[in-house]
Amino acid sequence: MSTALNNNADGWDPLIVAFCCNWCSYAGGDLAGTSRMSYPANVKVIRVPCSGRLNPMFVLRAFQRGADGVLVAGCHPGDCHYSTGNYHSRRRLSSFKRLVEFAGFEPERFEVRWISSSEGDKFAEEMEAITGKIKALGPNRKMRDARWQNVT
Amino acid sequence: MAERYLEELTKIHDAVKQDLLGGRINLLLGWEKGHYWWQSRPLFAENEQDLERLTWDSFCAVNLSRYLLEELKDYQKIGVLVKGCDSRSFNRLLQDNMVARQRVVLYGLPCPGMLDYELLTATAEAELESIAEQNGIVVLRSAAGEKTVEREQLLLYKCRDCRYPDPVVYDQLLLAPRGEKEAPERYKSVTKLEEMPADERYTHWEKELSRCLRCYACRQACPYCSCRECFVEQDKPRWQGRAYQESENFLFHLVRAYHGAGRCIDCGECQRACPVNIPLQELNRKLIKDINELYGQFEAGLNADLEPPLLTYKPDDPAAFSEK
Repeated sequence: MSTALNNNADGWDPLIVAFCCNWCSYAGGDLAGTSRMSYPANVKVIRVPCSGRLNPMFVLRAFQRGADGVLVAGCHPGDCHYSTGNYHSRRRLSSFKRLVEFAGFEPERFEVRWISSSEGDKFAEEMEAITGKIKALGPNRKMRDARWQNVT
Repeated sequence: MAERYLEELTKIHDAVKQDLLGGRINLLLGWEKGHYWWQSRPLFAENEQDLERLTWDSFCAVNLSRYLLEELKDYQKIGVLVKGCDSRSFNRLLQDNMVARQRVVLYGLPCPGMLDYELLTATAEAELESIAEQNGIVVLRSAAGEKTVEREQLLLYKCRDCRYPDPVVYDQLLLAPRGEKEAPERYKSVTKLEEMPADERYTHWEKELSRCLRCYACRQACPYCSCRECFVEQDKPRWQGRAYQESENFLFHLVRAYHGAGRCIDCGECQRACPVNIPLQELNRKLIKDINELYGQFEAGLNADLEPPLLTYKPDDPAAFSEK
């Protein structure tokens, strides 16, 4: 991820990691692409089989290694390819989000969204929105691995 | 010296002696006096001679259920003395399939709450020589003289907001039950932290967690940390870096707490075991509080047949994020 720690001309550009479920959100991102919608390049998409696959440690690791914001996107409840994956992740990620906030992260740093494969426009909008919010918040230094701070 | 609850101890001693000698159990997990009078460490009694060291006093805070994990490898049938929290720990292990119910005999001991030595010395304002207890009053004897304090004020942090002093699962209840208690202040510190601005909260945890030595005593003491291979020792992938830095400390503590989401019985052994007094219970309680708020009241360890909230779902669950 070191190459993704992009410092552009005006100093700082946010890095946002988006974990997208293979069946809905990733396909939604695909649709956004094929429909020629644009969304900020600050968002780096990582494809996961299901939002239920997401190990919460992925999120913490992203923060450690330079992410300014993390987004998890999955199918709408009821639409999971594996029937119940996102029902489980809703419970898990809700409690995890609150724990992360309790540790001192701003609520905007870690978000969860449901985006279906037909919602290319929503995908682009959400990416736009989270990038805007993170830009307004500024760089994240919380939980950053000290050894990664110097990598630019 | 700390006085033992002699009358109760005799009762316990008689009951377990009969079973140990009669062959109903091969090993008894209890407590004995440690190096200092204010320590009661685990006792592993195989015979009558060992059993003579058995003690029951105000310092028997160590959770014995956790020791079953190791001891069941060597002994066929084990008797354990369980307080309220120990019995809920036992339910926890039972639910995780870490122990077999038929190989364990539980002797229930309704618990008066255990005393905190650090608090005792701080209250006595001198090195303690001994304590004496009567009817909810503790007399602290030190070089500075005698001091009388209410017992409630000297309890361990984990005992202060205990709701279930009585064992919830046992084969034999050896003492008189004490009944359920209210814990109105259980989430007080959590709420206080929640009200802080995010940055201030981060600074708070940064300060607290910076003391962490990563000795993993909290994990060793914990009844929900029963994985054979813990993520902190896992090598592929190596989740937990070995470096001593804030980032790794945060990772460890957040993940440790999160592994207990919906499973933590709030026995507070982690915090008691912590050599640098990190308020670990606040992290656990935060998760308990949130899960109760979002997914309905659930007290882990009370009933081993109830599924922990994070292992199940309802289609109309609320979420802590926008679902639009």
